[in-house]
Amino acid sequence: MTAETIIQSLASGLLMGLLYGLIAAGLALIFGLMDVVNFAHGEFLMIAMYATFFLFAFFAIDPLLAAPLVAAALFVFGAVVYLLVVRFAMRAKANAGMVQIFSTFGLAIVMRGLAQFFFTPDYRSVTNSWVGGKTISIAGIYLPEPQLIGAMLSIAAFVALYFFINRTDFGRALEATREDAGAVALVGIDKNRVFALGWGLGAALVGLAGAIMAIFFYIYPDVGASFALIAYVTVALGGFGSVFGAFAGGIIVGLVEASTALILPPSLKSVGIYAVYLLVVFIRPRGLFGSM
Amino acid sequence: MTISRRNVLLGATAAAALGPIAARAQTSEVAIGVIYPLSGSSAAIGVDAQHAFNTAADIINKNYDFALPLAKGEGLSGLGGAKVKLVFADHQADPQKGRAETERLITQEKVCAVVGTYQSAVAVTVSQTCERYGVPFISADNSSPSLHRRGLKYYFRASPHDEMFSAAMFDFFDAMKKKGQKIETLALFHEDTIFGTDSANAQTKLAAERGYKIVADIKYRANSPSLTAEVQQLKAANADVLMPSSYTTDSILLVKTMAELGYKPKNIMAQDAGFSEKATYDAVGDKLEGVISRGSFSLDLAQKRPMVGLINEMYRAKSGKDFNDYTSRQFMGLIIMADAVNRAKSTDGEKIREALVATDMPGDVTIMPWRRVKFDEMGQNNFADPVLLQYSAKNFVTIFPEQAAVSEAIWPMNS
Repeated sequence: MTAETIIQSLASGLLMGLLYGLIAAGLALIFGLMDVVNFAHGEFLMIAMYATFFLFAFFAIDPLLAAPLVAAALFVFGAVVYLLVVRFAMRAKANAGMVQIFSTFGLAIVMRGLAQFFFTPDYRSVTNSWVGGKTISIAGIYLPEPQLIGAMLSIAAFVALYFFINRTDFGRALEATREDAGAVALVGIDKNRVFALGWGLGAALVGLAGAIMAIFFYIYPDVGASFALIAYVTVALGGFGSVFGAFAGGIIVGLVEASTALILPPSLKSVGIYAVYLLVVFIRPRGLFGSM
Repeated sequence: MTISRRNVLLGATAAAALGPIAARAQTSEVAIGVIYPLSGSSAAIGVDAQHAFNTAADIINKNYDFALPLAKGEGLSGLGGAKVKLVFADHQADPQKGRAETERLITQEKVCAVVGTYQSAVAVTVSQTCERYGVPFISADNSSPSLHRRGLKYYFRASPHDEMFSAAMFDFFDAMKKKGQKIETLALFHEDTIFGTDSANAQTKLAAERGYKIVADIKYRANSPSLTAEVQQLKAANADVLMPSSYTTDSILLVKTMAELGYKPKNIMAQDAGFSEKATYDAVGDKLEGVISRGSFSLDLAQKRPMVGLINEMYRAKSGKDFNDYTSRQFMGLIIMADAVNRAKSTDGEKIREALVATDMPGDVTIMPWRRVKFDEMGQNNFADPVLLQYSAKNFVTIFPEQAAVSEAIWPMNS
């Protein structure tokens, strides 16, 4: 094993990890806001990838230009999902947690089924995009441009999110609703509105990730599944309820995955991630940056 | 023995269950179960397969002038012109779902035979279930060599398995070496279910026998979100030939990742699967010029046997795609099964099995480059000769063995 291999592995791991963080950010935001785990998170990613693909295929809009459009569309989609599905699921008097799980899980299955029906199960790819397939090589270390842009976008999104949550009225409303949904009603904040915007924001973040992923990953109705699993681990590792935990969690997952593959056979590379996760659960059950 | 309430209930249930069987004998339909992944990560394969099977059923049930068994005349003449009815089931690439769905096909849908399954891992459970019920099963497109070696009586496979395919690859390497090419080192890249591991085992064995050195043997998890680490090891090894055994998703990601990490393999010799799917070439075809894949079908056969082209047109009208290595074998799977049912003149499992054992179909009445279809005592057809196909100028051309070759191989692939 040469130094070059190690640096390349860690660099690739870091880029992937930042993207994992961006995918998980929306999940962490929604969970932190209202204690609901969105089991359709992977399907949100899938829809975003398809949206990017269709914008490219029909209107020749490059995924990089499509990213803000897709994020906006997913914002609306997320808010609608809250208003039409989750809002009602949260009214359950008994077994509220189960009802929420089943409603988002059911939504995931419906979305996959509809995608297969309307988009067919064929594997799609965005070919010939601006940065697709391009790669930068620095002293023998290869950094693929799509992942590089994805990583930078991820950092930018987390910085923006930080200022948004800490410096704006809406961010404060979000935090306040999270702390005590009953009390904010007394000061005239509409809980449903805040939650709907929270869902919209969470979905927009995964929309951004999906647009970038569409450049270098194949697209099909089940594409969300493997990424969603990583997103759940990322959130649990980073800490439930902490959006920035997701950022750190994503980086850790990416780096651990890459370094495990250096030591163990590649088919076991996810073992490292789950080993680290178990370790965190033993030592700090709420996750690294968890506040609950 | 006293008759308890439970006995009466059992008796009534049995009578109710037998009712449909008695009624079925007079109907003019023969139900054959077709089990494929119709949802989940390989749904695309299953949907193409449905079109292939429907094309075969069309040819059997309507009158066509092809030199193919059952094409002429409508339905199965041995059963008074009964039509073949396909009952599709979805196994979602999951062996356990495959088992449950096969049971449903046999007990609820009353199919008299089953054809499947794409994934070899699912064929294991599906064929075991069929064996238990005494229902014949044809592996239309499974290629793991271990499948026919489990002592099953009701298991049949008309197409080659991966040892035969891999032997063809090494025959080709030997031939290339004789022509003065340097082929010494190999890198294996395979997924972690029975398909990938069986394929890698066959290749490892052949490499040892014929004096090739395996410099990397990389087993990876199917449907991985990233193959960066795997590709780095392939790149470090930089073998003379890269030999992937991968399904479509991983094939696309492998080729993209190799390009991103600046690795251009000297040669690629693929174990079919993802490397014969249109989706792979749509996505990354520009990086696959010169790739060689094993196969058992090639459209250039249409030049010698015009019906291959005509049947391909029928399939394309349904699916929008040309026959590939999988869909052609799926098509033949149903023809062979229906031919046996026809000769058995019965929907009884044992009689169909006897008819399958007696099958002796000359190669030129199939759409494949096979010599004939005749099963050995383990249910394997050893007369199915594999071919090697090379992708060049957006087309697959047969390059090996010599008697089937349409053109010379481009070697190394990037030359």
